[in-house]
Amino acid sequence: MISLPKKIAQYAFLIIFSLFSIFPLIWMAIAATNQSIDVIRGKMIPGTYLIENYKALIAQSDLWHAMGNSFKYSIVVTLLSLIVCSLAGYGFEIYHDKFKDGLMSVILLAMMVPFVATMIPLFGMMAKMGFLNTVAGFVLPSISTPFLIMLFRQSARSFPHDIIEAARIDGLGEFQIFVRMFFPTMRSTYAAAMTITFMNAWNNYLWPKVIMNKPETQTMPMLVSNLTAGYVTDYGMLMLAVLFCTLPTVIIFFCLQKSFAEGITGAVK
Amino acid sequence: MKKRFLATLMIVAMSASMLAGCGSSNDAATDNAAATDDAAATDDAAATDDAEATDDAAAEGEQKLTVWCWDPSFNIYAMETAAEYYKKDHPNVTVEVVETPWDDIQPLITNAASTGEYSQLPDILLMQDNAFQKNAISYPDLFVDLTDSGIDFSQFAAGKLGYSTVGGRNYGVPFDNGAVIACYRTDILEQAGYTIDDLTDITWSRFEEISSDVQAKTGYYLLSERTGEIDLIMMMLQSAGASMFDENGAAVIADNAALKNVVETFNSLVDNNALLLTQQNWDEYIKSFNSGSAAGVINGCWIMGSIQAAEDQAGKWAITNMPKLDGIDGATNYSNNGGSSWAVTTNCKNVELATDFLNSTFCGSVDFYAEILPSSGAIATWAPAAEADVYGEPSEFFSGDAVFKKVVDFSTKTPSNNTGVYYYEARNAVATAITNIQNGGNIDDELANAQATVEAQMQ
Amino acid sequence: MEKAKARKLSQSKRYNLTGWVFLTPAALLIAVFSFYPMIKCFIYSFQKGSTFANMQWYGINNYIRMFQDKVFMKSLGNTFIYFLIQVPIMLILALILASMLNNKDLKFKGFFRTAIFLPCATTLVSYAIIFRSLFSTDGFVNTILMKLGILDAPFAFLTNTTGARAVIILALVWRWTGYNMVFYLSGLQNIEYSVYEAAKIDGASPLQSFFHITVPLLKPTILLTAIMSTNGTLQLFDESVNLTNGGPANSSITMSHYIYDTTFKYVPNFGYSCAMSILILILVGTLAFIQMKVGDKRD
Repeated sequence: MISLPKKIAQYAFLIIFSLFSIFPLIWMAIAATNQSIDVIRGKMIPGTYLIENYKALIAQSDLWHAMGNSFKYSIVVTLLSLIVCSLAGYGFEIYHDKFKDGLMSVILLAMMVPFVATMIPLFGMMAKMGFLNTVAGFVLPSISTPFLIMLFRQSARSFPHDIIEAARIDGLGEFQIFVRMFFPTMRSTYAAAMTITFMNAWNNYLWPKVIMNKPETQTMPMLVSNLTAGYVTDYGMLMLAVLFCTLPTVIIFFCLQKSFAEGITGAVK
Repeated sequence: MKKRFLATLMIVAMSASMLAGCGSSNDAATDNAAATDDAAATDDAAATDDAEATDDAAAEGEQKLTVWCWDPSFNIYAMETAAEYYKKDHPNVTVEVVETPWDDIQPLITNAASTGEYSQLPDILLMQDNAFQKNAISYPDLFVDLTDSGIDFSQFAAGKLGYSTVGGRNYGVPFDNGAVIACYRTDILEQAGYTIDDLTDITWSRFEEISSDVQAKTGYYLLSERTGEIDLIMMMLQSAGASMFDENGAAVIADNAALKNVVETFNSLVDNNALLLTQQNWDEYIKSFNSGSAAGVINGCWIMGSIQAAEDQAGKWAITNMPKLDGIDGATNYSNNGGSSWAVTTNCKNVELATDFLNSTFCGSVDFYAEILPSSGAIATWAPAAEADVYGEPSEFFSGDAVFKKVVDFSTKTPSNNTGVYYYEARNAVATAITNIQNGGNIDDELANAQATVEAQMQ
Repeated sequence: MEKAKARKLSQSKRYNLTGWVFLTPAALLIAVFSFYPMIKCFIYSFQKGSTFANMQWYGINNYIRMFQDKVFMKSLGNTFIYFLIQVPIMLILALILASMLNNKDLKFKGFFRTAIFLPCATTLVSYAIIFRSLFSTDGFVNTILMKLGILDAPFAFLTNTTGARAVIILALVWRWTGYNMVFYLSGLQNIEYSVYEAAKIDGASPLQSFFHITVPLLKPTILLTAIMSTNGTLQLFDESVNLTNGGPANSSITMSHYIYDTTFKYVPNFGYSCAMSILILILVGTLAFIQMKVGDKRD
């Protein structure tokens, strides 16, 4: 048994760390209810300006349209990414040999050059391929990421090989094993990957802008960034927009966190 | 637990397929729209569909101009108002503004110009004055030469026009004014026994005396600047008609008497409590005079918007000109910081329309400038605009002064400045030098280092 | 007997092929959308010019220039300071938090997990504003430190070399600890809880089971997070731009920040940007290679 003082110390640590982490969101929520000048002056108590900030935000930008766009693109990217990368990660690990391990290392290189340097050649290529102003041009480069592939590869390492053998004896095909055995067992990995991929897709900024700079394809990060571009920034309204931009990821995390942190181990046994 | 996970997954999958469904039908809808009423989207059509659609549309008379700019209450508002003005005489012309922050416009331009793929650029875009030379010279195919377009460029202040002029050719239509104003809190001045007149037409050494005195008596500084940023130093430099580059584009950072004088003046202000250094972020700077211990601001006239945000300080501010350098030939009380100009890109399929639009609004309509002034504070650099009555109207916030008239007056007296192509490189090098000097470095050595850094970057 | 062997061989060949089928879509996408631009970038790093159309051969001059460029050398040093201090602190902290939150008896786990994850979901714009105002001279942190008597006068965190770097490191730890924790938590689900209970019965202290059960079993995940954090820190950009703007006097600027400036802010010199980016590739690649050698072994 853990002794009581140790238990108290543990809770104290977690509470302090949580408060430290959650503080900015609270600050943001408070700032969203205040007038810009009060935000600048560092007012820390909730104000009465929320509705005005909302009205100003709606008047200046197409909030719900941008929200819809962000959801649409993020969900498409997340689903495609999860399918493509989990297949690859599984392939790399379960059927591993020298060549595949080598290829994995090479694939990792793909993330090691700053995007600034690859963006311009990528843009040129997309233009030649006729992908400018298309959803495909926006989505294609972000589907397959070394990070997700490696995440699934590393997780697949703990997937018991005897399950695969047993399934093969039962006559299941390789793809069926992946769908029926691997997918349900690795629920926690999928949930974690989904959260992170959704978040990255949601926050993706520069590339969508490069591929199609049009009012009708505006996403939430673009909307937020537009609000800070002028000579005078309305901080109250900005914080409200930022809050709208942050909440979807937080909600998704909150819904999924039990899945990846309290997954029932041995579900397939 | 398992159920919950699967449920979430299902919801996501379902909404995705629904959205994907929506998406494709939407796309189809927009495609149709593009084919029928919206076909005039000149660049749109050229980028995606065949050119024929454009010709058809042109025959019908529907025309569209796309514009990139970035501030809804300022330049976007101005552009949209201009579009309304133009529509009165040209009902077939619509202007589509795509809100694009300056920080994004530069990468988008670089992408387009580097790859030669201009099709995504708008017809007209707003360009920061400090970056104009760099883009116009580095990418000679980017902007349309407007010199012979019928626009009368002589009606713009020479100092302002210089930013968008390359080799004697005009590539931009000047827009907003960056004339430097000095704003002070009259209530604080009063407490220390001064008036706004004591700060008008003065030199920096006099300013230092007053500011240190005010600081000692009230605790307020009459000026603030962000640590490591050199807006103020650049303004001081330009006020004496000096630059970091000579006419041939060579860097003159070391052995630049005006620059050395500016740096010494600046350091003396800091050392004698006449200048408050804030953190390097813009919001901290704003805070310093909105609620902090700064009772004065020296910056481009667009800073008025941020000062006016503190509504409780209405009537307590007054505007005058900035101090001038001591012992430098050509020193004035006037300078410039910020501002931007409109440029027509080579992707524009109908240059005649674009220039006619600019010519009849931004360089041709007093009424237009009069209309945008009150709510946006966009002060014209087009001389005839100042004749409008609104420019003479008193501002309640700034102690009943006719501030707009004042700014226009200041802007005509501002010496011009040669930003050169390597403006941002030089700025960064000088900023580094200033920080090192403040930390005890030798002024001549540090400026020589900065010179060497910039020269290395110019290779 | 012979037949069976042959069948087994062909079967292993078939599995091998299946493996390739599984990973082909991902590999193809990466080849086209990542490697092609990277190869272009590599070629441009030996060239000079403002647009691709007028690029001229420049030999290794971009690389020579890089090592003579004081600002870039400074950014290299700064980046390594962040890397050496921040990555270990963050990963250890994430590991400790994950193993604490994996405790079955803990109450309010959902709240703790969400709270600790929150920072990385927070948009950069807001967190930069918050950090700057927290650490300003009249900000929250100075007020607290002065009330506690630790400081006599306010400390200018962001305008002082050590302070600026410390704030950046703190911001990074704050933002990414929860992110890494997520992977550890999900990795821990694959460890049978009964293993811990058995260890407890055998008299192992929580610390012992942490080092002898948690760490070894999480090794694949730790390798993953180590490589990702190394990559993330060596390409650090947001914090340098938004918190300190690289200042004071370039003392907190990162390599990616400088590359961004040379690409978009300064007179376009894409070849030089590419050369600096290739250096980052070499650095991260080497570090990742070492990490793979140490950590990527199948037992």
